[in-house]
Amino acid sequence: MAVEQVPSTPVDAANDTLSKRPLYEGSTQYQHWRFSPEQLHKTREVLNTDAIAAIRSTFEADSPGSSSDIQFLTYEEEILLVKLYVTKITQLCGHFRFPEEVEATAISYLKRFYLKNTVMDWHPKNVMLTALFLATKTTNHPISLEAYTSNIPRTAPSDVLDLEFLVAQSLAFEFAVWHVHRALWGIWLDAQDLPIPVPPERLQQAYDSALQYVGTSRITDAEFLFTPSQIALACLSLADHDLALRWATAKGVEANMETIEKVAIMVTRDGVVPSVEVVREIDRRLRLCKNPEKVVGSKAYIAKLAKVEREAEVKRARKAEEIRKAMEDGDPFGSELNDGARVIADLDEDD
Amino acid sequence: MSSAGRSNAGGWLRGSAIRKGTSSNNASRSLTPQVHSTSSTVFGGGVKDPSGRTSEFFSMDDQCPVCKSDRYLNPKLRLLVSSCYHKMCESCIDRLFTLGPAPCPICNKILRKLAFIPQTFEDLSVEKEVSVRRRIAKEFNKRREDFPILRVYNDYLEMVEDITFNLINDIDIPETEARIAAYRKENAALTELNTQRDQAYVQALKEQEEAEKRERQLRADELRRAEEEERDARENERRELIDSLERSDADAARLVRRSRADALKRAAARTAAASQAVQQSSAMLLRNRAAQSSTVPDVPHVPLQDDWYAYDDKYTMRETYVDPASEAVRRDREGIMRAGGYRVEEAWERALRSAVAGLEVTPLVGLEPS
Repeated sequence: MAVEQVPSTPVDAANDTLSKRPLYEGSTQYQHWRFSPEQLHKTREVLNTDAIAAIRSTFEADSPGSSSDIQFLTYEEEILLVKLYVTKITQLCGHFRFPEEVEATAISYLKRFYLKNTVMDWHPKNVMLTALFLATKTTNHPISLEAYTSNIPRTAPSDVLDLEFLVAQSLAFEFAVWHVHRALWGIWLDAQDLPIPVPPERLQQAYDSALQYVGTSRITDAEFLFTPSQIALACLSLADHDLALRWATAKGVEANMETIEKVAIMVTRDGVVPSVEVVREIDRRLRLCKNPEKVVGSKAYIAKLAKVEREAEVKRARKAEEIRKAMEDGDPFGSELNDGARVIADLDEDD
Repeated sequence: MSSAGRSNAGGWLRGSAIRKGTSSNNASRSLTPQVHSTSSTVFGGGVKDPSGRTSEFFSMDDQCPVCKSDRYLNPKLRLLVSSCYHKMCESCIDRLFTLGPAPCPICNKILRKLAFIPQTFEDLSVEKEVSVRRRIAKEFNKRREDFPILRVYNDYLEMVEDITFNLINDIDIPETEARIAAYRKENAALTELNTQRDQAYVQALKEQEEAEKRERQLRADELRRAEEEERDARENERRELIDSLERSDADAARLVRRSRADALKRAAARTAAASQAVQQSSAMLLRNRAAQSSTVPDVPHVPLQDDWYAYDDKYTMRETYVDPASEAVRRDREGIMRAGGYRVEEAWERALRSAVAGLEVTPLVGLEPS
């Protein structure tokens, strides 16, 4: 943050606040990854129904009537599955001794990915690995791919890399995340400056326990509904309500404590790791209702591959024909300028 | 040098007196017109080289089309070009036109002796085009500023090009000349004004160059003087050192060391002063040049136009914080643990900003897109 603008007078400061846009509202997190609970619900529901419709039609195309007895996952079940893999990221980060920033970023990526994709297309156990690997790179804690995969059983480098572009694309290449733990750190630092000093032991204790709540908040949807500072303050209020209130009063935002309460309730209510039995049951059903086009070796997968190959073949043939025609015209680079548009259109995907 | 050698050789070959040949050459030169022709109808092609001289075209195959004498017979053969762009040797010109205007032996146009010009291009059509263009440029010297809109200026340029083309290719000469005359009459004042402007500009350029030359000279003198002073000073130091070694009974080695240190200090001061002077004058030179040549305003570059509110009034930084996480980094005075430019204060500030950022944002409600 190189911008250092110190307002000269309080009046100036007030004017600045009015005319300028706050920094956080310029972030992609605020602009593209902020929802109302209803919007979040709707997005997931639509995604789920669309996915089910698409997969059902694939099944039907394979053998008619085969999809009638398949129990597809509901979007609540999808969330449960993703939640479990969120906790897996935490475990992996502990194993690799990654800093908290990597962990938080990877979890945000995973959750954002499943706002654009469904579990039935891409299993979170693969996406999680890619999201974490991507997060190490975007947060400037790079690790070599070999070191990464060799420490995870039954994982090849290609498993991670194959999904990388898909994940980045689903994130709309918006890799920057505003984190709750950094906001909590800021609150903790600033709380040392309260008008009535708080004993350092109490501060430290509150901070440590609030950090636990921050970890819990990552399992919930809080980051899609609230700002990082609000979640951080809520975590602090869960740890030490009085301290949080005093800090909020010092900042003049005690009127917003209502929102903070909502966050706190959400963290305690939703921040529960789903039980392994439930998730195992979901996973078992997922094996049946997975999009067959994405299952290596299945009929639909082979059909899809063949289709892609056929399209590529048609394209190649067309290209060869064009080149042959150009050679016949005597100019290997083509004769007319208006051919250029089509040639460029051909270039975009596979060249 | 080479021309002297050539004339010597010629004299020797002909067996005649060398002196006579040279003198006759000189005489013919003074009789025939030089580059400064007074005629207003003929403009020499005369492309000048940087020193301001016109370099004449010269070839071993030159032959006078009138008397058929060539360079083999007459090494001093000099061909001049008439206003109808026909070549003739000097002796033919003398012979034909000394008694007044006479018709050209090739095209019968009436020519005068003074209207012959030296040849600069091998191809006479180029010669003609260059001279025509030069003449036209003198007559038609309006500028873009003299026209209200670009369209009119372009029309004017088109007309000038038409006239030039006609003159070069001998199309409708009388009519074209009439057009030029009419134009001259109409625009006499403006043409005159523009001519003066051009002259003033050339003059200004020349003055600027002069000033720069003087400045350079001054700088060189300055440098030379500084060098001399330095040499004197060094001599003085040496003498003082010897004197002090003679007179005092202090440790010789220490005396030498001290005087050396002094000398070094003085030398450094001198070079600093000298280089500063040089820098100043060259900076001034550059400024002058820039002031003269740049018409485009130099607006300072602002890399970031966006103007964000960074919550500066929401927090105040303390000198230091109790922060176990960064303690190791802060204790690390040699900076082994931190990358270049890392300051823990900046990390703190980022955290503080992040703590107050968006605290008052109301959560979204409902299905309406934000």
